[in-house]
Amino acid sequence: MSDSTNEAAGERVVALTVNGDSVRRLCPSSRTLLDFLRVDLGLNGSKHGCDVGDCGACTVLVDGIPRLSCITLAVEVEGLAVRTIEGAGPDEARIVAAFDEHVASQCGYCTPGIVLCLSHLYSEDPAADDEAIRQALGSNICRCTGYTKILAAARAASQREASQPAQGGSDE
Amino acid sequence: MSDSENRPGWAVYATHSGEAAEGGVLGRAGPKIDGRARILGAALYTDDLHLPRMVVGKFVRSTQPHARIVSIDVSGALAMPGVVGYAIGSELPQKYGVIPVAQDETAMAIGKVRYIGEAIACIAAVDEETAHRAVRAVKVEYEPLPAVLTIEDALDPSKPHIHEGSRKPSNILRRIFQEYGDIDKGFAAAEVVIEDTYEYPGSTHVPLETHVALANLEPDGKLTLWSSTQNPHYVHRDVAHVLGMREQDIRLIKPTVGAGYGGKCDPFCTDIVAAHLARKLRRPVKITLEREEVFYTHRGRHPTRMWLKMGFAKDGSITAIDFKAWAEGGAYASYGVVTSYYLGVFMPLPYTLENYRFESHRLYTNKPPCGPKRGHGAIQPRLALEMHIDRAAQALGLDPAEMRRANCIAPDTETCNGLKVTSVGMRECIDAVVTASGYHTRRGALGPGRGLGLAASAYMCGALHPVYQNELSQSCVQLKVDRSGEVTLYSGTADCGQGSVHMLAALCAERLGIEPSDVRVIEGDTSLTPVDLGSYSSRVTFMAGNACVSASDKVREKLAAAVAAKLGVEPAALTFNGRRVFVTTAPDRALSFVDAVWLAEEMFGPIGEVGGYKPHKIGSRFRRQSVGPSPAYSFTAQVAEVSCDLETGIVVVDKIWVAHDCGRAINRTIVEGQIEGCVYMGVGEALFEEQRYRGGLHAVPSLLEYKIPTVHETPEIETFIVETHDPNGPFGAKEAGEGPQLSTVPAIANALHDATGIWFTRPPFTPEVVLAEISRAARAAAQRPPESS
Amino acid sequence: MLPLPTFEYAAPTTVLEASRLLGTPGSRLVAGGTDLLVSMKHRLFEPRLLVSTRRLGLRGVSVADGVLSVGAGTTLREVARHPTVLEHLPSLAAACRTVATPTIQGMATLGGNLMLDTRCLYYNQPAGWRASLGYCLKREGTVCHVAPKGRGCYAAHSADTVPALWLLGAEAEFVSVRGVRRIPVSSMYHDDGMAWLRLEPDDVLTAVHVPLAGRAVGHRKLRTRQAIDYALVLVAVRAPVDGGLWSAVVSSVSPSPIFVEAATPADLAEAAFRACQPLSTHLPAATWRKKMVRVEVARAAAALTSA
Repeated sequence: MSDSTNEAAGERVVALTVNGDSVRRLCPSSRTLLDFLRVDLGLNGSKHGCDVGDCGACTVLVDGIPRLSCITLAVEVEGLAVRTIEGAGPDEARIVAAFDEHVASQCGYCTPGIVLCLSHLYSEDPAADDEAIRQALGSNICRCTGYTKILAAARAASQREASQPAQGGSDE
Repeated sequence: MSDSENRPGWAVYATHSGEAAEGGVLGRAGPKIDGRARILGAALYTDDLHLPRMVVGKFVRSTQPHARIVSIDVSGALAMPGVVGYAIGSELPQKYGVIPVAQDETAMAIGKVRYIGEAIACIAAVDEETAHRAVRAVKVEYEPLPAVLTIEDALDPSKPHIHEGSRKPSNILRRIFQEYGDIDKGFAAAEVVIEDTYEYPGSTHVPLETHVALANLEPDGKLTLWSSTQNPHYVHRDVAHVLGMREQDIRLIKPTVGAGYGGKCDPFCTDIVAAHLARKLRRPVKITLEREEVFYTHRGRHPTRMWLKMGFAKDGSITAIDFKAWAEGGAYASYGVVTSYYLGVFMPLPYTLENYRFESHRLYTNKPPCGPKRGHGAIQPRLALEMHIDRAAQALGLDPAEMRRANCIAPDTETCNGLKVTSVGMRECIDAVVTASGYHTRRGALGPGRGLGLAASAYMCGALHPVYQNELSQSCVQLKVDRSGEVTLYSGTADCGQGSVHMLAALCAERLGIEPSDVRVIEGDTSLTPVDLGSYSSRVTFMAGNACVSASDKVREKLAAAVAAKLGVEPAALTFNGRRVFVTTAPDRALSFVDAVWLAEEMFGPIGEVGGYKPHKIGSRFRRQSVGPSPAYSFTAQVAEVSCDLETGIVVVDKIWVAHDCGRAINRTIVEGQIEGCVYMGVGEALFEEQRYRGGLHAVPSLLEYKIPTVHETPEIETFIVETHDPNGPFGAKEAGEGPQLSTVPAIANALHDATGIWFTRPPFTPEVVLAEISRAARAAAQRPPESS
Repeated sequence: MLPLPTFEYAAPTTVLEASRLLGTPGSRLVAGGTDLLVSMKHRLFEPRLLVSTRRLGLRGVSVADGVLSVGAGTTLREVARHPTVLEHLPSLAAACRTVATPTIQGMATLGGNLMLDTRCLYYNQPAGWRASLGYCLKREGTVCHVAPKGRGCYAAHSADTVPALWLLGAEAEFVSVRGVRRIPVSSMYHDDGMAWLRLEPDDVLTAVHVPLAGRAVGHRKLRTRQAIDYALVLVAVRAPVDGGLWSAVVSSVSPSPIFVEAATPADLAEAAFRACQPLSTHLPAATWRKKMVRVEVARAAAALTSA
């Protein structure tokens, strides 16, 4: 569709949907999805943390699956549906409320990526247990919280918590 | 879920039992007022700011640890399309540094380089990739000098001075020697003397946001600088100083900051060079450090060699401490002079001690500069001291917990080195973690490879004396009260995620009987907000909090006067609570907060007040004790449970019980988060983290190879808040952001002894080190004659 | 921030077209990109043309005649969740689940894992860092910092799925302008950190075929952290049938995985220990990693015995 050859050398038109909006931009082939979002679209919620796929601060959802936008080319998501933290909606409301209540975000640099990772987890398993939550959080580095409040918030956002009486002994 | 449940504000607060304060805000759990902006990616960090015509700057960095710069040739870079300019070190010759007695740094190297990764030049270009290629096209010719790379090197008089003109015989920035009581008498009275050396590794902060600065020259010739800093005030001063500008012509704005932990306390080359290039090129310049560059920027934990000798009486009381430390500081002073004091001055806490001597050295080496990392200078000696106590308990046949408990200092005492201690919750902290962990029954009983360990610690709540001498307030807060009932709070503080914005809003709301969400906090903008010295030394809650209470009280007085006149009662008869001002004995006689504001404005004119805080002059017996004294001290105890795989040497921290005396929890969830974050960082330093070098080259400058714990390596953390209501803290509050880290590593080390029978004196406790020690101990046991069992 | 170098990009729709493009100098194939793009940011590669696999239709898992066929463009996440893989090839699922992080497993492909570049502490670093080091034999330099007096490059094979696939008897299918061929995974690799793949530049890995009737295989990955990290020692062990031999493949200790056989688990662990000579390609001491080869092989075998 946009695989035209008459574009300037190294530049291509990229068309995709971002948070439900159709977007079409001319950008260099080397544009990462992260910079496409931040520079071309002004969506700053996804962050540069390490730029090489180690930290997860740039995580976005592509067709519902988490991706590290710092090591994804914008041209490689041509035609797909991207969701960033700016597109957080009803699917994330429970997570956002729990993160707020548990102060699971300190500096906040890792938080949008984590919220999206959890959103994906709950889309597959609304009642994810602690082990599933831990596995999912392995994709994201948080340097502030010691993960304790993040785990508490994630647990609270899981339907499992809602369907079971609270276990005693929690100090959160 | 209903809409209201999703809204921030009072409706979703969990109720909290305990002493009900007047305003009902103190001690709550739950959200912070700026939480959702960060969670939803709406908060703007410096790198999120884009200005028209903005270019990016990228640094050319040294590939040599110590060398003369023969030449810098930028012509190849400037010839590239898209490159718009450059700067080199000699354009910014003014030396600077936060500590006035040790200003040895320039924005970029001039004449010689002192570490691999030091900035030499900066290229400005239209985008990051062009700048990156241009930087690689810059040719720097070096004439290598012998490099100073170790503590031994730094003490060797035959090695060259890293900083020419030093009158010291070797590469020593500062030596501190202090002696209190009678050391010899103390050791003579000892039943047991423990003496050993410890090595604490260097580690770095790793905030997820790298250092970023954006500068813009305004049409009137003034400069606006946005910086990801913990200390807007110091950056403001130093940028003006280096650029030769009037401070009033520079506006320093701290946008949302993606954490610091001490790593963003200095003014950096990013700040100064972005400002310089914005003036030189007359277009906005942004510099965003790459992750690798943050490892070179560093200012982290000093690698420290320590020798500690302690005498103990039969009952476990400490008869004397003799302590020496050598801290390898890298190429520049940064906060190193302060480090040299902090290595020694907190040792007389929290145990009773009469006889104390310490000698510390802060050294220069050709490596990235060290500086203040969470628990600045106090982390390293705490490992030695708390392990010594466990070793003494073993030698004396005492219980380590009881021994610590029995020797805790009492409230309202002065230590042998002149620290005036007010509130002390040390015993309560020890009791909480000992009970919860089952320390007395489970220690020594978990089987091979598993163990429990205890450690305790104390930390400061801000420095009594500012880093540059002045008699002004160390924290100021200004309040503007709007007719709508919104209170705008202006403060020069820098919330890096620790929650100080919420702390200020909560204290103000508590005094005025409103909700924290009714308070809009504007912080860290030198043109809008009054000075605060910054987010370091665990000072913000104590100092800015006190300034906030002071300003809030002035507003409250005016509102109370106006309402009292209206209701015909004395101002003292009024209560401020629930967005109402009412007669305490007749709550129905009430006005809304908004009505109170209207009445006060009618009576007094527009309502705006300021408050400031500086610590009381605390006369010390010791003239030398200028660095270390604090208006209050926090206390922590923790128990670690560890598992050690005896076949691989892999250590897992299973659980940490931590209790912290924070004076008063203004928001319990935020306090818990600070404590948990401290424990996490301590676990990283205990098991994984180390700034490792190959010669002068940082060996692991990435998040892949510099191992910070993931969720999988982070233990379960059970947190207890101990409240002692310090007489001088705002509503009794002290600190929670640094102190809890001090006892994490020693608790893990002591647990590792319980698990293996070995005293590990050099973190990180990596599998190869642990396995080697286990094998050595097994060999030694095999060779030992059988009767010695 | 750390930018990418500039390059041209093509997303051909046929494998032959992809092979033809890869035959031109300076081209590289990109699938998940989780390793390649990082290496490009580090300027280990600055290709003129990136050829994408995304339109080649190489994604998907099928089963026929007792053989599982995985399209090379199938993500590790998809492989690890496939019911047949979970039922018949749990070691492959386990290996996929130990790669980096769950997010990366959702991006990285099985084909990409088989083609993963060899790794070394002195190679997988940013450009400025490598300049300070004076570069290394594998890229831009003349000296191997791991073995300055050695005969070549010792960068370590680090593909998490390969030891298990090797012992499962998997074959890789390649297509080029010269035709189609199948190569056992066990003979894909050279013991040379610079030329570790026995392939031509225009060979396109299209599928991996794994027989389902293989014997039980165990997989272990020793790493510092349980997410993000590459292996320090990577082990797969296969149990014998009818008095045959135990076998093991050990990786992350040399440029090619190492295969050993022995009559008992204890002998197997000892044989692996003797066969592996890890060098300082990783941060933890090579002597410790060598000891861990024995421990990991023994533990993998023990898990199979108890299962």
